[in-house]
Formats: sequence, structure tokens, C-alpha cells
Amino acid sequence: MNTFVALVKREVLDGKNGYIRVPVILAGLTVLLVICSSLGFGNMLYFDGMEHEGIENLADAMNKAAAREPDEFPAAITIGYWMMSVLAWVALPFVIFFSLLGALYEERRDRSILFWKSMPVSDWQEVLAKFFTPIVVAPIAFLGVAIVAQLVIAVFLSILMVFQGGPVLDLWPVGLMITSWFGVLSHFLISMIWALPLLAWVLFVSAYASRMPFLWAILPPFVVMIVEELFLDSHVIASWVGTHMGGWQDGAFRDMPNDFDGPRDLLMALVNGLQWQGLSYSFANPQFWLGIVIAGGFLWGAVELRKRAI
Amino acid sequence: MTGQTSGTPVVEARGLAKRFGNFTALKGATFTIPLGRIVGVIGANGAGKTTMLNAVLGLSSYEGELRVLGHDPSKERPALMQDICFISDVATLPKWMKVVEVLDFVESVHPKFDRAKAMNFLSRTKVPLERKVRALSKGMTVQLHLAVVMSIDAKLLVLDEPTLGLDIMFRKQFYQSLLEEYFDEERTVIITTHQVEEVEHILSDVMFIRDGEIVLEAEMDELTQQFIEVLVAPGKEAEAMALKPISKGTTFGKSTCVYKNIDRETLAKLGETRRLGLADIFVATMTGEGQ
Repeated sequence: MNTFVALVKREVLDGKNGYIRVPVILAGLTVLLVICSSLGFGNMLYFDGMEHEGIENLADAMNKAAAREPDEFPAAITIGYWMMSVLAWVALPFVIFFSLLGALYEERRDRSILFWKSMPVSDWQEVLAKFFTPIVVAPIAFLGVAIVAQLVIAVFLSILMVFQGGPVLDLWPVGLMITSWFGVLSHFLISMIWALPLLAWVLFVSAYASRMPFLWAILPPFVVMIVEELFLDSHVIASWVGTHMGGWQDGAFRDMPNDFDGPRDLLMALVNGLQWQGLSYSFANPQFWLGIVIAGGFLWGAVELRKRAI
Repeated sequence: MTGQTSGTPVVEARGLAKRFGNFTALKGATFTIPLGRIVGVIGANGAGKTTMLNAVLGLSSYEGELRVLGHDPSKERPALMQDICFISDVATLPKWMKVVEVLDFVESVHPKFDRAKAMNFLSRTKVPLERKVRALSKGMTVQLHLAVVMSIDAKLLVLDEPTLGLDIMFRKQFYQSLLEEYFDEERTVIITTHQVEEVEHILSDVMFIRDGEIVLEAEMDELTQQFIEVLVAPGKEAEAMALKPISKGTTFGKSTCVYKNIDRETLAKLGETRRLGLADIFVATMTGEGQ
């Protein structure tokens, strides 16, 4: 167990640009944007020559909103924080993909694999650590950064409200915020389990390719899809890949009501119903389990390849 | 790893072979390496040295029988690495890591690593702990790797061209530290190198390897006594030839002959005698007549 922790630590250290610097820079940018835009909020409206029932700054707008929809306001704020920190998330899929792609490729290229192999660590532990870090640690790191960004934004807005005379306490729907953090994380992890066969394929390519792993990861699936399309006039593989990439949500949430009555309904649906619905749909779906089995196959292949790699 | 008595050989190979497609890199090598030895594996480029070491280290598959410290290296590399250390012929330390991070990592995964020892060793070098491996000079990288390896309480240390590309100061230091601070009768060291002159005084055994075959396996003391070079005195040439030298040459206008397994007194009558260096023995053996 200690060995595994040490391996994950090493992976984080190796990929700290992607796991930490990228989200921090993006989140920093987001916070900066929010600060600039909210400081300029009233002025912008004023500048445009629009009259909004005496709204001159952000505090006025907040007061109005909180007074008009007291039940919906906390949820609206929570969703607002998420939208403000969403920029920090855009890099995550790329970080995951390229971390997996380089995981077992770079160590062969720079020969450090010989150093790792001089340690009493088995190949399957190495492969598992290199699989686990991008798909579990990276999302948690990104979520951590997003949470910090949300808190910074909330603190900043609170200070602004103090000066402008807005509803400071209403900016802290703490319970909802925490629920939303866990909700997002668990939804992301379920998505990751769905994507396991694709992610494991990337890691397998990383162990296999002697050069150009990117092409190896992308091209063969595409060729197979095109061949299937041309000769069989079907697209089973393409839709299979699509389902595992996120298309499963279409099936899982098809029965959800489309008409949400305000942000509170939406948020509640997002953080409560969604998890359980997604989870039960997944567990009852054979394709979900088959995906895990296929992922296991690719991982086994990656371990076997690494045993032979020098 | 228990029950490893000093009587059991560290490496036991029988018919050890390795093929890469049509090319046979190792043709059924049979050898035994006991505990407490420093063995030099000497051969030309492509003779099969690294292939042999890779098999011993569990880095590649092989045919034939091989036991290293009682383990089958192809199946039990992780267990084996508790008691084996190696430095391969290429720089393998992860370049993106800081020196201190390398130590942290080894400390957390290797139960037999003694960090204090490594720090002590490094304190006598100029290797900066906060510098990345990428930014270290070649000599410093080897010093760091040696510091790591010497701080692991292993039974077998394998060094594949460890001093390749180092300047002479580092090379001298390297072997000196190895001999004075690491080696004892409970450990075995296997070294391959081209710089034979630098290691010959520390070796206890040698193994010559050519075209995937072990052509000679001997103890250093015995070996150097077997080979005698004679600076043939004028007029004794015919006599010298009659004793069938394994190789002939000329130095400073005088002919020299190398003999194997002919006693010194007989040879002394022909002219001045001297022992051959390991490099010369290697050349004499490799030219085919030494067998």
C-alpha cells in the first residue's frame, strides 16, 4: 500500500504541470475575469445607457434577485459559482488523455524504466498507479482547484457586497455548495468508470507504441469505424465509443423531467437524483460491465508489455 | 529472502540462451557466480554481455535454466530487486526529478535503502540536492546513482559500463568508493566495461564472452599466472617458436611471444618475462589461439 502511495505521488510529481499548474492558471484567470466584470457591472449597464429599475451596481442586482426569489436564490448562487469556475475544468479531459498516453511511453523513451525496474516494485503496481493517477487523482485535484476558485469568488463578492450594501449572507449557501462538490465529483467518477475501456486503451497504446503513440491511440479506432461504415454500412463501434465517452447519460437521464421549475429544481436534480439514477442505470446496464471487462483486458496487456519492455 | 547461505551461488546459469528473431545473442551460456566475488564480464560490443545481464536482472525472457539468489528472475523480478541493484549502460535516473525526490522515492519503495548513508555519500560530492537530474553533469548523475545503489543493502550489484563517458577523476573515484565502502564478502559485484585496465586490479574473477558464448571463466590470480609474455633474446627465436606461443609480436625491434600454461623457468631461458595485463590476455584469447 505504501508503495502504491509512493508511486501515485511520483506520478503527481511527474505530471504536476497538468494536474496542478493548468487548473490553477485557468482558475486564476476565471477569478480575474469575475473580479473585473463584477467591479465593472454597474458601469457597464450604465455605459450601455440601459435603465434597470435603479440597479447601479452588483449589490443592487443581488438585493433585487434575493428579494424576488428568496427560495431560488441560494441555488442560483451555487450554480453561478459553478458556471464561474467552469473554465478550470475544460483542460481536464486533455490532461487525462495525455497523461495516460505518456505514462508507459515516456519512461521507455528516456530509459528511466530501467531505474524504475531496479526497484522492488511489480509491473502491475506501476501500471495501476499510472492508470489511477490521471483518472482519479486528476479529477480530485481539478475539483480542489475549482472549490478554491469558488471560495475566492465568494469571498471577493462578499467583500464587494459589504461595500456596496448587498446580501452578504445570501452569498454563502454552504450546504448546497458542499453537496454540489460531492455531486459533481461522483458524477465525474461514474463517467470515468464508463470511459474505462477507452482510457485503458490509451494506456495500452502507451505501453505498446514504439513511437507516435498519439497516432496509435487515435488512428486504429478510426480506421475500424470507417471500415465498418464502408463495408457493413453500420456504426456499431462508433456508437459504442460514443456511449462510453458520455453518451450513456442520454440513456440514463432520458426519463428526467425536462421542465425544471427554477434553479433549485435543477440543482437538486443535478446533485441528488442524477447520481442515483446514473448509478442504478449503469449497474443495470450490461455494456457498463462489459466495458469494465474490456478495460481489464487492456490493462492486463499493458502489464504484460511492461514486463517485457526495457 | 531468507535462507541465503554463503554456500549457495548468487547466479547459476545452465544453457542460458536468448534469441532475437534470427539472431542468437546468447548461445547456451553455463556459469556460476559465488558470493563475495567481483566478476568482470569482458567482451566486444554486441558479444552478448548486456543480453546476459538483462536475463540475470529479470529484464528479459530467456531459454535455459537460470537461478539468481534462488529466484527465477523472469518471474520474480520484484522480489529479486530487494537484493539486487543495478546501474545500466545508459543514464536511467528520471531526468524530471530533483535529487532529493529521487531519494524520497527510493526510500519509500525500497525497504533496504539507508537514506542517511546516501546523504553521507552525497555530502562528499558536489551534487546539489535541489537540482533536477536533468541539470546534473554526467559525472554527478553517476555519483548520485552510485550513492543510491551503495546505500541499498543488496547481495548483488550489477554494473553495466558504469563509467561510460566519465572523465578519469570520476572513474577512479567510482571504483575506489565501490571497493572501499561497498564491497565485502557478503556481496557480489558484476561489472562489464571496456576500460579493462581500470577494473583489473579490483576483479576477483573474469568471464570472457564472444559471439554469445563464454569462452573463458577464471579466477584473476590463476589467469594472470597462466599467461606469460617473453621478450625473446636475440638468437633464441627458433627456440621460442618451438614452444608454440599463442601470439607473437614485436616491441622495440625485439620479438615478443605470449605463452599459456608454460612454466616461468622454461620461458626465462628465452629472455625477459613479464605478466600480461588483462587487456592483453583478452586480446590473446579472442584472437582464437588462446584456447
